[in-house]
Amino acid sequence: MRYIAVAIAIAAGLMVLIGYFVPALAGVQSVLLNWAIILAGVAALVGVFNLISVHGDKVRRREKGSIYSAILLISLFASFIFGIALGPDNPNMRLLVSIVIVPVETTLMALLSVTLLYASIRLLRRRTDLMSIVFLLSAVLMLVASATLPFGEISPLNDLVRPWIQQVLALGGARGILIGVALGTLTTGLRVLFGADRPYGGN
Amino acid sequence: MSPDLIAGFIAFLFTLFIFSYLIGDNPLFRIAVYIFVGVSAGYVGAVAFRQVILPDLFVPLLAGKALLIVPLILGALLLTKVSPRLTQLGMPTIALLVGVSAAIAVGGAVTGTLLPQIGATIELFNTRSAVLSAQFFGMIFNGAWILAGVITTLVYFHFGAHTTRDGAVRRFGLIELIAFIGSIFLAITLGVLFAGVYSAALTALIDRFHFVGTLFGLH
Repeated sequence: MRYIAVAIAIAAGLMVLIGYFVPALAGVQSVLLNWAIILAGVAALVGVFNLISVHGDKVRRREKGSIYSAILLISLFASFIFGIALGPDNPNMRLLVSIVIVPVETTLMALLSVTLLYASIRLLRRRTDLMSIVFLLSAVLMLVASATLPFGEISPLNDLVRPWIQQVLALGGARGILIGVALGTLTTGLRVLFGADRPYGGN
Repeated sequence: MSPDLIAGFIAFLFTLFIFSYLIGDNPLFRIAVYIFVGVSAGYVGAVAFRQVILPDLFVPLLAGKALLIVPLILGALLLTKVSPRLTQLGMPTIALLVGVSAAIAVGGAVTGTLLPQIGATIELFNTRSAVLSAQFFGMIFNGAWILAGVITTLVYFHFGAHTTRDGAVRRFGLIELIAFIGSIFLAITLGVLFAGVYSAALTALIDRFHFVGTLFGLH
């Protein structure tokens, strides 16, 4: 099974990669991409079934906090069954999203404003080095420059300093990070395509 | 009580339950989070089935596209991942997904990030559009800063090192110096990103206050 898995990964990967450069293989690439999309959908279902299995076990064993698992299972089955029966675009499903998912996500994001502020204060108290100070200074500068203050905006800060930091200094750093990430992705991807890394369990 | 008011009240309860985390982890917060995870997982499962598996697999298969028998078999094998005893059977499907994803990642990294970002950095020194000499020097000045940021940030992530006589592992002196400058660029970049995330979080906080205010007719 391991050898089959390695052969499938390398063959499928190389065909998709070559398909970018050789037009004759574009058809095969398209078929493989379509299969991958379908299988990603099945993988999402496997994830849901795994969640049901883990929390189902907790409820069966009456572990501590199993009441929360029961609540999770009830809400999961309700939204899954209604979602399958009605379709995700149904107005009732949209209502479910707008009364559960949207408020919880937005409030978690709102909580972030408190936790980030707390984390910044802790950073200053625990690690007062040059990097931390530059980090917090640039963050505060950006916030002050973009904020609508009671006495109006601070003109040179908003018109000169902020754009220069954002569009020159931060752009250079961000571009360096992006190129670094792309180089890392390229290396990891090539290692998988040549069979050196086998994250699917083909070792 | 109108359905809109009931929906608004339920959304308000979820908002309140999540905000209760400010006083520490508590049952109300947990109930809200577990319901959120359950509803989201169910919704994702329904979307995956109704908008991917059904239209891209079952409908064309029933219409006579025999080639789709392959993803059907691979999908069935992937479902065995749920059982610890049969988990090995799903390996070929995971291998196909990993292989295709790696190829997409390689293609995306080269054509979507590396070439455009390097091209944009080179383009900074294209002074043909500069009419005045001040514009010319401005472009060169900013371009040099950006180029310095790109190079020093990349050097910061270079971890090649040598062993010194006292046994310590250190980077070369020049690399260490360039990496230090890179760390300043990184700190500024992360600070700017942090400010962006913090602004988004504050916007979400204001949105929640506005929602509660609207629900109770405070504005």
